[in-house]
Amino acid sequence: MATLQLKNLTKRFGKKVVAVKGINLEVHDGEYLVLLGPSGCGKTTTLRMIAGLEEATDGEIILDGVDITDLPPRKRDISMVFQSYAVWPHMTVYENIAFALKLKKLSRSEIDRTVREVAGMTKIGDYLDRYPTQLSGGQRQRVAVARAIAVKPKLFLMDEPLSNLDAKLRVATRTELKAIHNKTHATTVFVTHDQSEAMSIADRIVIMKDGEIMQIGTPEEVYNESASIFVADFIGTPPTNFIDVQVVAAGGTLHLVNPHLKLPLSPENAARLKGQEQRNLILGIRPENLTLTGETEANLSAPCLVAEPQGSHQVVSIELDDKLLKIIAPARPAVHSGEMVHLKFKQESLRFFDPQTGQRI
Amino acid sequence: MNKKTRRNIHRAAKRTTFYIFVTGVVIAMLLPIYFVVSLSFLSTREAYRYPLPLLPELKIHYKMTHGERGYLLSVYDQIDKEYQTVMDTQDLDKMSVYMKSQLGAPMSVSEIQQQIARLDTEDPIYFTRRKNLLYNYQTFFQVAGTGQAVPALIRSLEICAMTIVISLFIGGMAGYAFARYYFKGRNALKFSVLFVRMFPGVAIAMPMVIILVNMGFYDQPIGLSLVYSVGSIALTIWITASIFMGIPISLEEAAQVFGATKIQTFIRITLPLALPGLAACAMYAFLGAWNETVAAIILTQFNPTFSVVVYQTVLGAVGQVNLAAAGGIVMALPAVLFTFFIRRYIHQMWGGVTV
Repeated sequence: MATLQLKNLTKRFGKKVVAVKGINLEVHDGEYLVLLGPSGCGKTTTLRMIAGLEEATDGEIILDGVDITDLPPRKRDISMVFQSYAVWPHMTVYENIAFALKLKKLSRSEIDRTVREVAGMTKIGDYLDRYPTQLSGGQRQRVAVARAIAVKPKLFLMDEPLSNLDAKLRVATRTELKAIHNKTHATTVFVTHDQSEAMSIADRIVIMKDGEIMQIGTPEEVYNESASIFVADFIGTPPTNFIDVQVVAAGGTLHLVNPHLKLPLSPENAARLKGQEQRNLILGIRPENLTLTGETEANLSAPCLVAEPQGSHQVVSIELDDKLLKIIAPARPAVHSGEMVHLKFKQESLRFFDPQTGQRI
Repeated sequence: MNKKTRRNIHRAAKRTTFYIFVTGVVIAMLLPIYFVVSLSFLSTREAYRYPLPLLPELKIHYKMTHGERGYLLSVYDQIDKEYQTVMDTQDLDKMSVYMKSQLGAPMSVSEIQQQIARLDTEDPIYFTRRKNLLYNYQTFFQVAGTGQAVPALIRSLEICAMTIVISLFIGGMAGYAFARYYFKGRNALKFSVLFVRMFPGVAIAMPMVIILVNMGFYDQPIGLSLVYSVGSIALTIWITASIFMGIPISLEEAAQVFGATKIQTFIRITLPLALPGLAACAMYAFLGAWNETVAAIILTQFNPTFSVVVYQTVLGAVGQVNLAAAGGIVMALPAVLFTFFIRRYIHQMWGGVTV
């Protein structure tokens, strides 16, 4: 139960590489915060600085009002689940979980009770006498989680804890992690590069790129109100479609125009782009916000390149100026490649981005 | 002959050739060891006999009769299947000593007199004595190094223990540093520690003597263990560095996150995981220090090590092959025992697999 503040946190490796560029962030009490970004974006470095495994070059880390920036890891009252699990191979599951409790000098009965409690919570109660090498990857991961819960820390850190599991187990485990969090309500910082993982477990998502925070928000916010092209592209599968367009005034309203498209804007969207006539911008629209329609109502028509049936829906791709445009359409009627597809844009889902800065307009 | 039988014959021939080859190699390895062991149990008379007996005799059959000069003593020879005269004397003391030292089946003077008394009623007389198989070993400890064998054995064990401690302590720490920290010239330095092993002990004997004399460590166990440590530290660094590299750093980081200090982390996480490597290093350090002779000859004077004592037995005035063999076995035994003991740790695994 704690709040965490990062103030201007910076990490430099050597003189040239700046891994984290002065980020500011507040994690609320009991919150499940996910640091999301492509590899090399500084998310793991940030987490390691919070853990104390990496020295901060500049800035402050404040946990519950106490500056912990220069404390060694053991004095920070945190616990961590590592990507490689880092369960100690020469100790049994029981000893792994009890290690931190022994160092805290808890009584033997108290240790025993805690170990059995967290083992029950993570469903490894039957394996307490086994060595980690006798366990499967998923079980080892549970041991790592149990070990982290046992110390009842102020702050939970998770460094891509699911990335070594196979796809099916990963999805199951993330649900369990969320369930455990719902029981413990421990403030958690979770690092991942998998956006669907982030979307499914986060209270709030912090999207990072090149050591900077691109956007902070709830999963819905970052999905629906992406602050930049990067975020809109990074979040969602398939990602947002981007189309280069020009704003043109005609017939009393504004149109978005490119050689394939002439899209009249609704009054709300027109109001937003008022006074920006002749400007080039990038239109972003999520695949599910493009609907298949009849030829007469269509904003855009093009031949289908590929249709990928997914059971519950199908993903239809069309090619527009060498760029793929993806549409999530109902499974029926099935679209066949080469067939003409007619698309209608959902007006309320149109997002406009500045081509120079990549920021949302 | 059809195809199948031909293939079977071919396969059998291949397998037979293979086993003949393997047997040859095994015999070539075991035969010398067998000869030393067997030699160490032979009496002096047996040891200098030609052909050399393959096994020591367990009993000696004596035959005695009146001789020209006194009593004629004969011994049954297992190989030639006949009694062979060994001495003709009246001096029973001499006879007793001869039985003990040359035949390994001792009889006191009074026992001999008892047998001689029987000569009045029958001639010749026969009697049998059990052979003392450990005679060479007892003699070795009494005679070798002018009674220095036992103190030398203890001294050698001391030197080995100190060598292990020094080389594991310094080499282990250096190995950890090489495994975990990046610094300029790391690889060059790691390679250069092997230089010390390139110089033969004889070549640098003089400087070693002078340095040890100046340190006050000449002719002392600590001096020798320092010299031995130099070589084994280099090896320890290489072995432990690769072991420590194999231990994921996240295991140490986890320990620190969960409340351990750096020293606790090292003792409770890193060290147990590195145990197999450290055990191997201890073994190398022990064997190196235990078997080393050249530097020990140069650097000791009145306090020789055990290897020096054995060496003197081979060369020196005592000069009996069966005694030297017994010394060699005594010398080999601790090394073999230690290797078997440490083997458990080298092979130690947690739940089936190492780190």
